[in-house]
Amino acid sequence: MKSPILTLLLVLVAAPFLASCSSPGRKPPAAPAAVKGGDGKSVIAAESDLNEYSAVSVADPLEPLNRATFWFNHGLYMVVLRPITKGYDKAVPKPVRTGIHNVFENVRFPVRFVNHTLQGNFKRAGLETGRFFVNSIAGVGGIGRPSDHIAALANLPEADTGQTFAKWGIGHGIYIVLPLLGPSSLRETVGFAGDYALNPVNWISFVYGGYAWTIAIPSTNSLRVTHEQLGVYDSATKSALDKYLAIRSSYIQYRQEIAKK
Amino acid sequence: MNPRLLLLVPLLLLHGTAFAASTAEAEKRLQGAVNEVLAAADAAPSVGALAESLDPILHKHLSFDAMTRRAVGPGWRQFTEDQKKNATRLFATLILRTYSSKFTPGERAVIKFLPATSPEPGRYEIPTTLLYEGSHYNVIYRMEEAEGWRVTDVVIEGVSLVANYRSQFDAEYKKGGANAVVGALSHSVNHPK
Repeated sequence: MKSPILTLLLVLVAAPFLASCSSPGRKPPAAPAAVKGGDGKSVIAAESDLNEYSAVSVADPLEPLNRATFWFNHGLYMVVLRPITKGYDKAVPKPVRTGIHNVFENVRFPVRFVNHTLQGNFKRAGLETGRFFVNSIAGVGGIGRPSDHIAALANLPEADTGQTFAKWGIGHGIYIVLPLLGPSSLRETVGFAGDYALNPVNWISFVYGGYAWTIAIPSTNSLRVTHEQLGVYDSATKSALDKYLAIRSSYIQYRQEIAKK
Repeated sequence: MNPRLLLLVPLLLLHGTAFAASTAEAEKRLQGAVNEVLAAADAAPSVGALAESLDPILHKHLSFDAMTRRAVGPGWRQFTEDQKKNATRLFATLILRTYSSKFTPGERAVIKFLPATSPEPGRYEIPTTLLYEGSHYNVIYRMEEAEGWRVTDVVIEGVSLVANYRSQFDAEYKKGGANAVVGALSHSVNHPK
């Protein structure tokens, strides 16, 4: 995923699949849901609303392989990553973790700037630039987030390469579970490669490759992201009937929402 | 102005007033429910104790009947009355457990209510922002009028609780009909992981 040639190859391979995906989630109901009951009170009409939701669907021709990768990842999260992130949680006090989070999010500025621009949203790209300078200067290298106190900069929507592809009308293609990285699709895998290339955290190893600290910085970033995502993973899988389907459905719905922003 | 149009004005005003009144009612109901949940979360010493105190609160404010039925989909028609009752009871237990496990004792949630929208009469979507343990989440509550206002879905960052189970129930139903759905629910409730 690090090589631009691999990215290009993925795009070429992906092209025939990228149009086919649907994730309807909730349909508008055909009939009003509330009717008057016998006592004149309003009740939610039974059985007139059974088609209101449809199963979130995405082409998954690799399901057996994806399930195997999913369970491999699950084991890895439980046995290896969870103890590491717990250690991170205990060893690093919360204010420091927040500072680390803020710095990495601030440095990710090019991912958001380039994608807002590619989506034709120049106003957001401008606001992102403003936020980057405010947090870098007044937030001391992005440790603090003073932009939260400026209404125009406080809640800027996220932007990433997968979202840009979605806004260009490219479908998910097929669902893919990536080893270690988790749920994705053909479109989002290519998007991830784009985000990876645009994130300055990953430039370090290209420029100064070979030194131990060049591994330490991206690793800290991965640890931070894993720490945040394990919480979400737990919520989605803890009460699931089928963990694989729960994550697939949540992921497709989540990316659909991101594409709307 | 055309006199016919003039006749329309009071009707439109009335419609607007009715909309505002029911929006306020739905919002008030949701705010009340959220306050009850937060008070229970503050008072509970553990997640287990919280699940117990949340049980009557969620049953009062959520329509588990509608949520279960919609999560199962058209296959619901093939369920016997007993299977419907069992599925609803087990699904409620599962949701209650998911909901209570999200709270960490001692952490306070800050919730901001945003203006509601009405996709159709009798239904509201109330967007909120939730700040919890340093992270922001966009949470939409879908509400319907049924013996008062009830929550029929919770959508967190675009992920609908009901749609999420719809995919899972669908797979179970295709495997073995109503029995498979009830069996899978029962297995999840009895083997929490």
